[in-house]
Amino acid sequence: MSETVLSMVPASLTAGTLLIVIAAFTGTLAAALLFYSYLAQTDELRKPILLTSGIATVSLVIAHLYLTYQFIVGDYTNAYVYQNSADHLDLLYKVTGVYANHEGSILLWATLTAIVATYTVYSSRFQGLGSRLVQSLSLGVVATFAFMLVTQSPFTPIEVAQSGVPDNYVPADGSGINALLIDPWMAIHPPITFASYALLVVPFALGVTHFVSLFRGQDSVFKEWLPSMIIWLRVSWLLLTAAILFGAIWAYGVLGWGGFWSWDPVETAVLIPWLWLTATLHATNRYSKTGEYKLFAPAAAAFVFPLIIFATTVVRSGVFRSVHSFAAGGIGAGVLFLMVVTGILAIGLPLAYWLLNGGDESSTDRNWLSHGTIFHAVVLSFAVLAFISVWGLLFPVVRSTITGVEVGVGQDHYNLWSYPVVVAMLIVGGLYALLDMRKRRLAIGATVAITLATLVAAFIAPSGNWYLSDPAAHDPIVYRIVGNMSVLSIVPPALFFAGTWAARFVSRARGVPSRSFQMREAGILLIHVGAAVMIIAISFIYLFAASSSAVVVGLEDVGDNPEPIVEESDDGQYTIEVTGYESETTPDVEDAALSPEDVLTAYEENPLVRGEITAVDQIEGTAVAQLDGTDVWVAGDPDSVSFEEGEEIIALGSLFQFDSTEDVGADAYIYTNAENMGTVADPPSDVHTPRVIDHQMDITVYEGDNEVASGTIAAQDHTDSQMNTNDPLIQRGLTGDTYIVATEIDEIGAGLTITEYPLANQIWLGVIMGMVGMVLLLVGDRRRDTN
Amino acid sequence: MTPRKLLTILVLVGALGFGYYSMNAAPVMSDQDYTYQGGIEWHEDPDEALSVAEQEDKPVLVYYWTTWCTYCQDYEDDHYQNEDIQELLDEYVLLAINLDEPGDGSALASDHDALYPPMHVIIDDNEEILGQLGGFTEEDRFKEELEAGLAAS
Repeated sequence: MSETVLSMVPASLTAGTLLIVIAAFTGTLAAALLFYSYLAQTDELRKPILLTSGIATVSLVIAHLYLTYQFIVGDYTNAYVYQNSADHLDLLYKVTGVYANHEGSILLWATLTAIVATYTVYSSRFQGLGSRLVQSLSLGVVATFAFMLVTQSPFTPIEVAQSGVPDNYVPADGSGINALLIDPWMAIHPPITFASYALLVVPFALGVTHFVSLFRGQDSVFKEWLPSMIIWLRVSWLLLTAAILFGAIWAYGVLGWGGFWSWDPVETAVLIPWLWLTATLHATNRYSKTGEYKLFAPAAAAFVFPLIIFATTVVRSGVFRSVHSFAAGGIGAGVLFLMVVTGILAIGLPLAYWLLNGGDESSTDRNWLSHGTIFHAVVLSFAVLAFISVWGLLFPVVRSTITGVEVGVGQDHYNLWSYPVVVAMLIVGGLYALLDMRKRRLAIGATVAITLATLVAAFIAPSGNWYLSDPAAHDPIVYRIVGNMSVLSIVPPALFFAGTWAARFVSRARGVPSRSFQMREAGILLIHVGAAVMIIAISFIYLFAASSSAVVVGLEDVGDNPEPIVEESDDGQYTIEVTGYESETTPDVEDAALSPEDVLTAYEENPLVRGEITAVDQIEGTAVAQLDGTDVWVAGDPDSVSFEEGEEIIALGSLFQFDSTEDVGADAYIYTNAENMGTVADPPSDVHTPRVIDHQMDITVYEGDNEVASGTIAAQDHTDSQMNTNDPLIQRGLTGDTYIVATEIDEIGAGLTITEYPLANQIWLGVIMGMVGMVLLLVGDRRRDTN
Repeated sequence: MTPRKLLTILVLVGALGFGYYSMNAAPVMSDQDYTYQGGIEWHEDPDEALSVAEQEDKPVLVYYWTTWCTYCQDYEDDHYQNEDIQELLDEYVLLAINLDEPGDGSALASDHDALYPPMHVIIDDNEEILGQLGGFTEEDRFKEELEAGLAAS
């Protein structure tokens, strides 16, 4: 009976998919029960709610663990595992392979979102006005993810995913992970990114609930939840900032990703929610102090999540190809559905309320230079920066759809439009800090002076490097004006901004005994000074980056020769000394060979097999030898090959496989010859192609007599994907990095590029200062609340 | 009207103006007939390029690019502006395929396994591959590859 039941189950419904199906249904049920509880204002259903939301989350967590397990053991009957892993990979990359592609990363996102949503259901602190609707919306998002994963499951069996393969087909090895993802950052960048995405579901749900509540004539949810909302937003900001930082550091070390930032669609797409989130944090802070942004702050908080989905669409849709296109798995209707629904909720509800009930801004502030107006300018500027990026992504698509003409969006679009906005923000931000200290006269005077200094600095360019861009005569006038400004113009605003916020810190924190208050203020200071440091460093790094190239030859002899190879760079600036070279192939022939059992399920025409000879025989003039006591035998011409019992051999040959009904004494013969067979101690050569050839060379680089860098650079050939990856040598320094990368290395020689990136580490420093500042702010506020 | 409202409206109008201006001011990468990578005229239709190649008895240089690819930008700003390289390019029929929107070029792109830009493939008018150059290379190497392609044709 069980077999009939089993045969009714479609082959695509594997245990993993079943877990996701369970999550989809229990998640939906939990969302519905919570929604009912919200409407009926009842708590009677708490038990089934706890149960269903718990089951949904546990199912997703188990599904994720199960998929990880399949990756670790190399269960290639799962098509997703087959496509994104291989035996030769280190354990780390087997584990991270789980989210190397679309389905697995959505599963990770869904799992983390489910944990966050269920936490709000279970937490005793997350009760109160509107909480059931918040939880319902969050679980609704989880359920949507789960339904997406049911239709596009990371647990699809290989015989379903690939047509024309036998039912018991087990690929001998996986087809491999994208070569660019074999990097330790893979363990950090994606999980943090998805953790921040998962947290943002709560501000979304809170914002939407606020407006639903207003429409129902109830109290302000936003006001009641404000302290909680601020924490959710800040932690999300912290993680999103970390995600972008780690992505940038990763991209900096990977040749071909255009450095730490190249306005790639994905980079741009994730900057948009970050900018919006930063604007939201400003507006929410202002609300908590003055009550302004009563409508905008909750609406803005709700809108970050749809922007996140938009960013994902950009990565996954294939409409915008980018460095992240390895994850473009066809996005399916699910992501679009989620984007449209969350977008409508986050924009439509606030807009409708505003149109029906009028604006909230009861501000009667008539002063252009008031605190409030200046603050508003900053919030608007963040939105403008976000819009410049959104538009840069969208308008090529819009214009080519309308006119069929393809237009280019280069880095100039983003850099040159954003630059004046950033300069203005720094000046206005400094003005705000001075106004905050009630130094109105000084504030106005200093702002005017700094603005003048900025304008003057824009004309001071000691050399061609100082110009922001190199616009051509036919470029739009805005590009020509901004592009011909000197980068020196960033210095006065950035120093003014950092200085005024430092002064504000001193004036506020001095004489206040409360430690938590000082911690808070120090956090605010670090965030703003960090921003100024980062902005200066970003402005300078590429304009002043200088490259030289060099060629070294004769690497194969370097080991035999006690003298290193010494070459000069083409421009004579650097001397390169090569002291070592080696290459390593993965997997080697022993690891690449299949066991006799695997030969039977791998269906390879010419398998490479390894085993111990357990019996020998001759059939019709052919020498045969049994391997490992199995039904797999090797065969060959007795004049050419000789088999000896007890010998462990590696052999490549043509496979003759029989099913069990044919009585030929074995399940399979592998017909080999002397050239393709050998012992494990002396394996045949040229019987397999390694998947990765890693060339490493040890170099020391001198500029004049000074050593500027020393270490190992490497380049990997990935033979199956025909891709190359590189490990550059980065010598970090206070004033900048010396960055050496080889475009290609082999035993004959290597081509090197040596680049100086000034102020590279100040970028990371600035961002880390901001993150530390945010932690101080969180801790300081928490201590204040508990005191 | 408070300064805040006025400021908001001004910024909105400014943003709309920016949107319109920037969209129309963006450099044209391609129109109905040609695409203009690095200021050079490239065919977009493989059939057209192949028939021109047959008529003029030239090999075809296929350039796979995208708008966001920084190494393509380097090719366009440096390599294609190099006079020696331009002389060699004159001996080729040029075909550029945007990997984001390959259009008629999609069959060719999949024949050439062109997954990542930039990539250059040299073919003859029978689509026989004469040379292939994935990723970024220095100008000298690029020149050598173009010379080798001409020698092979």
